[in-house]
Amino acid sequence: MPGDNPLNRDAFLYLAAQAGLDTASPHLAELYPYVVSVLSSVRALDDIDVGTNEPDLAFIPSPEAN
Amino acid sequence: MDALELCYLSAGELSRMIKNKDVSPVEVVDAHLARIGETDRTLNSFITLLSEQAKAAARRAESEIQAGNYRGPLHGIPVGLKDLFNTGGVRTTSGSRIFDNFIPERDCTVAARFRQAGAILLGKLNMHPFAYGPTGENADYGHMHNPWNPELITGGSSGGSGSATAAGQCTITMGSDTGGSVRIPAALCGIVGLKPTYGLVSRYGLTPLSWCMDHPGPMTRTVEDTALAMNVIAGHDPNDVASARVEVPDYTTALTGDVRGLRIGIPKEFFESPLDPEVAAAVQQAIRQLEDLGAVTTEVSFPMFQHAQAISGTILMAEAAAYHRELLAKDGDKLYPPVRLRLEAGLFITAVDYLKAQQARSVFNLEARQLLNEVDLLIGPTEPVTAPPILAERVQAGDQTIGTTAALTHYTRPYNISGFPAISVPCGFSQAGLPIGLQLAGRPFDELTVLRAAHAYEQATNWRSRRPPI
Repeated sequence: MPGDNPLNRDAFLYLAAQAGLDTASPHLAELYPYVVSVLSSVRALDDIDVGTNEPDLAFIPSPEAN
Repeated sequence: MDALELCYLSAGELSRMIKNKDVSPVEVVDAHLARIGETDRTLNSFITLLSEQAKAAARRAESEIQAGNYRGPLHGIPVGLKDLFNTGGVRTTSGSRIFDNFIPERDCTVAARFRQAGAILLGKLNMHPFAYGPTGENADYGHMHNPWNPELITGGSSGGSGSATAAGQCTITMGSDTGGSVRIPAALCGIVGLKPTYGLVSRYGLTPLSWCMDHPGPMTRTVEDTALAMNVIAGHDPNDVASARVEVPDYTTALTGDVRGLRIGIPKEFFESPLDPEVAAAVQQAIRQLEDLGAVTTEVSFPMFQHAQAISGTILMAEAAAYHRELLAKDGDKLYPPVRLRLEAGLFITAVDYLKAQQARSVFNLEARQLLNEVDLLIGPTEPVTAPPILAERVQAGDQTIGTTAALTHYTRPYNISGFPAISVPCGFSQAGLPIGLQLAGRPFDELTVLRAAHAYEQATNWRSRRPPI
């Protein structure tokens, strides 16, 4: 269904240009369905109840660094 | 002792002989170089072979030992490093021709510590380009081949490390593990692979894939050798911002053979996932063997396990794309196409999704830590299948056909999310003669318990005595 597509082609091309990719390259025709598939799988995150938990980020300064 | 036998001795056995001057590092290195010469046309484990440098280092080691300056158990032991560990004066390609001529000025911390311990670097090992894939494919330097059947994958991304160790080309190798890249080739090649706790072994001087999930780890043929390697490489490094300030024990003290009373949890979700029946049977048999040794097993539930792929996949794609963004813009068309697609797709992950994945990681880790309040270790298969054919896009796991990448990382990714130590140890062979791996994971910085259980199991079985037919 078109409504299930997380990224339409125009938005994809805009973001690809912003990211520094060559939007005239025929490679983009291969990349677009791959990106759509990846972004669809990322939506599995929506099934996780994260509550008020903060992101688990790795770079926490040690006391010695302060 | 003939040369082939020398190549299949463990570091523990070799070091005792070297220390007693029963064998010289020169003989050991010559035997391994001959073994590489006989087998590497088939296996393709090496990107760069350092024959002359290794021979010179072996002569120096021999002189030092003769003069009474024995440095310790790795003195004179032949090692190999995955080709994303920077080595001063020796090219480091990260598995891509783009870096065919990149020669770092300095050693990474792991290489420096091996060198200081007197280990002898035989060469730089083949890998999935930029460590971004679990199979051991490489179009630039040639695919890696499994020593048990060269038509099959080694697993990756540290595939050359897996094949070199399994085939007796090196005694100890190093891999790096972001989604399973030490444990996957260890399981598929029939060796031991440890992903230490995040922050315990320095990442300094390694090409990153995901800053917050990269773990360097040793790959060996015995658990004792893993302990010996950890004694050299573990410990704080001020050059690595994520390096932990923790006390480093003597890891060989874990090798007691005693697991009486050890509490081992069996997450029921591991056996509700797609799983080859031969793998399931081998792992169940290993669990029974640990029970016979006195371990107490109990079924536990790990519901967040089902979300591991979404959490780790999102974090990994975003971080890999961030690190390689300039490379993509400059040399994207020179990258191995599947790696290029993965890297470019990461550019489209939003900041909100990345942070949602990190929030979910917090929930995942909370649940995983609670589990390890109830038990000392978690146990399960390392891989749902034995080694599939090279370039197979899908694999059969039980009654399901699933994508190869998803299958190979299914049981390994959870411990990259949590950062817990996890080891793969051989636990049997399929009817086709292919190795099967058992995975044990423990609490953060409790490598001693992980090694204790893996060693007790290893000593109670005889899987380590089998050699690949090559």
